Parts: sequence; C-alpha cells; structure tokens
Amino acid sequence: MSVRTSGRRGYWLYLIPSLLLFLAVIVVPFLMNVGASFTRWSGVGTPRWIGLDNYTRLLADERFWESFQHNVGLIVAMAVVPTMIGLVLAAALFDYIGKRFGARTASALRAMYYLPQVLPVAVAGVVWGWMLHPSYGAVNQIFGLDLDWLGDPDLALATVMGVMVWFQLGYPVVIFMAGLQRVDPSYYEAAEIDGASWWAKFWHITIPQIRPEIFVVLLTCTIAALKVFGPIFVLTRGGPGNATMVPSYFSYLNFFQKSNVGYGSAIATVLALIIVVVTFLFLRVQERES
Amino acid sequence: MVRMRGVAVLAAAALALSACGSGGDSGTPSPAGTEPRVLKLWHYETADSAMGKAWAEAIKKFEASHPNVTVKFEEKGFEQIQKTASMVLNSDEAPDIMEYNKGNATAGLLSKQGLLTDLSEEAAKRGWDKLLPGGLQTTAKYDDRGVMGSGKWFGVPNYGEFVMVYYNKELFDKHKVAVPATFEEFTAALDTFVKAGVTPISNAGAEYPAQQIFYQLALTKAQKPWLEAFQSYKGKVDFHGPEFTYGADTFADWVKKGYLAKNSSGLKAEDMGVAFMNGKFPVMISGSWWYGRFASEIKDFEWGHFLFPGATMSPGSSGNIWVVPEKSENKDLAYDFIDITMSKEIQNLLGNSGGVPVAADPAAITDAKSKELIETFNKLTTADGLAFYPDWPAPGYYDVLVAGVQELINGSKTSAQVLDDLAKPYEDNLADLGN
Repeated sequence: MSVRTSGRRGYWLYLIPSLLLFLAVIVVPFLMNVGASFTRWSGVGTPRWIGLDNYTRLLADERFWESFQHNVGLIVAMAVVPTMIGLVLAAALFDYIGKRFGARTASALRAMYYLPQVLPVAVAGVVWGWMLHPSYGAVNQIFGLDLDWLGDPDLALATVMGVMVWFQLGYPVVIFMAGLQRVDPSYYEAAEIDGASWWAKFWHITIPQIRPEIFVVLLTCTIAALKVFGPIFVLTRGGPGNATMVPSYFSYLNFFQKSNVGYGSAIATVLALIIVVVTFLFLRVQERES
Repeated sequence: MVRMRGVAVLAAAALALSACGSGGDSGTPSPAGTEPRVLKLWHYETADSAMGKAWAEAIKKFEASHPNVTVKFEEKGFEQIQKTASMVLNSDEAPDIMEYNKGNATAGLLSKQGLLTDLSEEAAKRGWDKLLPGGLQTTAKYDDRGVMGSGKWFGVPNYGEFVMVYYNKELFDKHKVAVPATFEEFTAALDTFVKAGVTPISNAGAEYPAQQIFYQLALTKAQKPWLEAFQSYKGKVDFHGPEFTYGADTFADWVKKGYLAKNSSGLKAEDMGVAFMNGKFPVMISGSWWYGRFASEIKDFEWGHFLFPGATMSPGSSGNIWVVPEKSENKDLAYDFIDITMSKEIQNLLGNSGGVPVAADPAAITDAKSKELIETFNKLTTADGLAFYPDWPAPGYYDVLVAGVQELINGSKTSAQVLDDLAKPYEDNLADLGN
C-alpha cells in the first residue's frame, strides 16, 4: 500500500509544470476577469467595486441577448451543418472516391476541403468581403444578382453563416476520415454480403462506429461558434445595425472601444461559464453514450 | 524664425558639448548630452501621405540636430493605437512620443486617466500656443473631466483636416451640372444625376463616411451653441430637436431619392474612395485626408472640391495630435521633436504634399492643388466653422453611429428610433463624466 502511494506521489511531480501553467494561463486570468466584472473600471487607475451591477445590467441588455441569438445561428453554421455535410463527404471520400479513384484523389480532395482552415481568418474574411461586394463582387456577378450580402440586415447573418460553413467544413472531414480508418472493414464486407445499400452502411455502421469523433467535432465546433470573433470582426463588425453582433465582439467593444472593462469582463465571464456548461453537458452525454 | 534659431542654437550646443565630452544628465535634459539616447516614436501615417512624408523628414532633421540620439520609429495602425493606447501607456512599453486621435473619447480619456504629460508650460515656452489659431487649440486642451476645449495642454496638433465635397469635373460637365453654391442647387444637381441613372454620392456605411454625411446634414441646421452643447457638454442636447431630426430624416430621404446607394451600408471607407477614384460617382463627401491620395492617384479625370453648400460648419478639426506619455523617459527629446514638426520647413513640406499645415509660409506652398485646399481650410477656420466629428462626445460612440446610419440606409429603423439609439449612450456618458 505504502509503495503504491509513494509511486503515485512520484507521478504527481510530472503534473506540476502543467498545473503551474494551467494556473498562470487559465485560472489566474479567469479569476482576475471575474474580479474585474464586479467593478466599474476603465482599465487604468483604481477599479470601483459595484457588486453585481454589471450582471444586473447585462440581464436587461437587449443587445447582449440578441447577440446570443446570433450565436445559435452560428452554432448551426459552424457545428451542426459542417458535421452533417462532413459525415457524408468523409464517407463518400472513404468508401467511394478512395476505392474508385484511388487514395491519392481522396487525399487531395480532403486537403482541398481543409484549405480554408489553414488560411488566416483575416485573409479569408477579406477575400469573402470582395466576393460579396454588392457592386463588383464575384457572387453577384456570377449569379446575376443584385444583393447586398453583408449590408442587408435580413441577409447578413445568413451570409456570415454560409461563409462559416465553408470555413469549417474541412475540419470534420479530416477528423471523420481519420476515424473511418479504424473501423473494422469486416463490418462493411459482412453488410455488403447481406446486400446492404451505401446509405444503410453509412447509417448503421459508419455513424455508430465514429460516434466519438462526431462528439469531439460537435463539441469543439460549438465552443468555436460560441466564442467566434475573427470572422465577425473582418466581415461585418457586428453590423449592419447589430444584425451580426456576437457576445465576444460585444465584450471587445466594451473593453477596447468604450474603456468599460468591468462590463466587458462581465460579458466575458458569462460567455466563459456558458462554454464550460455546454462542454460539461456534452461530455456527460458522451460518457453515457459510451 | 525665433524658434528656428533656437533649434539651431540647441544643435550647435549639442555638437559643442559632445565634442568636449560633457554629460547631460543633470538639470534640464537637453540634446546636449553625449550619452547615446533613443527617442521611441510611434505614429500611424502611411509613408506616402502628406503627414508620413513630413514626419519622415522631421525625423531626419531631428537626428541631424541631436547627434547622440537615435529615433526608434515604429509604424502602428490607427486601430491598433486606438484600441490599446490606455493599456500600453500604462505599461513600461510606452513610447516617448506618440501620435494619437484627438477628442473627448480618446485623448481626453487618456488625460483623465493621468497617462499623458501636461504640455502647457512647453506650449507657452516654445510658442506652440501662438502658432495654432483658437479653433485648432480646442483639441489640444482637456479639463479634469477629459473634456476638450479648456484646461491643460495634453497634445499638440500640427495640421488640420475637414470634410468637403469632392466632385468629378468630367461627370459634372457631361451631365451639364454646375458647381452648386446653395443647398438647393446641390440637391438639384444630385437630382440631375439620379434622373440620368447615376447614383451621385459615393458612400460607405460600415465606417465613418456615412455618419459624417448624417452629421454634416445636421450641421446645416445647427448654430454654435448647439455644437458646444453636443461636443463640449455646455448645455443639453435634444436628440429629437431640429438639428439631429433634420440630419436623420434628410439622410434617410437621400437614400430613398437615390442620392445614396441602398447597398452602401456594408461598405468600408476604402470602397467609397476607390469607387470615386474609378470615376463611378460624381460626388464624394469626405475628409481632406483623401486629398493627397487623389492628387497622386486620379489620372483619368479632373476633380475639384467645395465646402458643403448651405452650411457654415463642417466636420473637421486639428489633425491628430502628438502626445507625450506620462511614462516617457525622454520628454525633453519629445518636446524638441514636436518643435521640429512645427518648423516652417516641415510645415511647408506638409502643405506641398497635399496636407493642411497650420504654420506654413503661404508663399512657400507652390503646388496649385495644395494651395486650393489650404485656402478652403483657411476660409472654414476664419468662419470658425470646424465642427469636430460626431463620434467624439462619448467612448464607443463610433460604433453606435455606424449601427445607427446603417439602419437609416437599410430603413430597418425609423429616424426617431435611430435618434433614440444615439441618445442613450450619449446620456449615459454624460451621467458618467468625471467618474
């Protein structure tokens, strides 16, 4: 017993560097942020303690709640839709393209889908900004349309969602294709002998077999959608009006534009808590499933 | 001239003292020390702009007159400095001298936070206060609440800027439109273009241009007391009063009439400028910061400018200001640098490069286009017509205005609703002043 305890103590030593890093990079800044959220502070000078005032203000702030509604749309665009399309694409590349046209073709296509993930978000945003320009943008020119994609409040969020589907798609494709590598081919062979269709194999073998990957993709993409900032900053800056405002950009505006660090911290704290809760729920469901 | 002689004397003293190897570490710091020193300077003017050219020359001149000093210049972005200034200036990474945006929500806020050096004594000693006409001093001085117009000197502007109407002479001639002298003539001209199927005004709703048009329209109904109430809080501003109501209603009406494109709400300032430079729009209402670029880049057509007809005031002010951070370790050098940017040589270069100098020698401005611009600026300042910018009164007001005018362009809110949205953050800021 004592040998086992001392052995465990030995292992704990290896955790110390990561624990220190975790404390310095995550815990301390988070606690400082929470502390700042209870103050009125411009970022310089002495913060003034105001208790829960920032949170009460937040609860009544229409702009904040509106920004969360936009986040729901972005979860659909960044997590749900790419996961669904990614599953079909990965299965098609693995089962059909790979077998029919060779592994190289499948890999090349996989790399192409993944390309947007490699591009810096600012570059991708600027290029999409050009393509969606109402006067000379390629999208309007190609389809003979006259739409103000990013400037019309009824269209802007849907347009950003479309761009985000393009941006995110490669990530699930790569993860799912990696997952498919570890599926036992005998399942597919057996199903084929039984005369199962492609769709039946996809539904009854592929999806259940790569469920852990699906969970990981959904979780990481949902978190990315909740804290999305770069694409909004480059494409719309939360506009037109507040049509594409999201909590992280709203927090940034308060921090850096209004020097309202206390309120910005409250928004960031609530956002962080929501992300933690969502992650926790996901992991619980995943545990139960497995 | 006196100042020039002063700089020459300082330079000579620097050379003399460096020759005999005496130190300059006691008493008033001066360029005379022999110890190598570094002046850390940040600004965000592009190298090909009038200011960029002038400041590059000023750095050369400074290094020549301060042989023991190296200028470590870092080019920053406007947004970069705008968003991080208070944090950087509160750290040990602060530069010795920095260009910064003027106004209550920017330089005023930093001065209130104690991050900027009080330059009042230097301004009087070096004569900067004499070189800047009254209207231009407004953005140099801030009171204890960070409100511009009175109090201590926290910055030194050395160029001016203002919003005007740029026009494409060829398109005006083609559609037989004369340069308008009154507001009615201006709208008649815009109507002529609309009837010919041409959207007359190049616009951009996602950045500053649209909000400046809205403000310019409000200014056509405004008098000085209203302006002082709005910008300097010297009275109550009624956002549903005649000025802003006219501005918002007319702006929305201009969109309906086709003077401003319905699809301009998501466009950026660069889109607006490039479209005008490409000859797609006969009119562009924007600032003198485009002037130098237009002069060098527009090759296909003749263009001109005039002040917005029917208004005695236009958005405009001093240019950005030089500030000396409280944490600067080389304040004496920073003051010397500001002095050089105010010298006739640098001011004349600024003027001949398409900028608006504040202390140039009129006879030395030889470029015809630059001369026209400076004459218009002088006309505006003589009439005390600089009305500053609409986003100055409250921190974060720029984004509020962007959202408001975008809603006017899209028609997603009525003028009254937009004005309510503009009123709230303004009133919140008023309630918070001095805190």
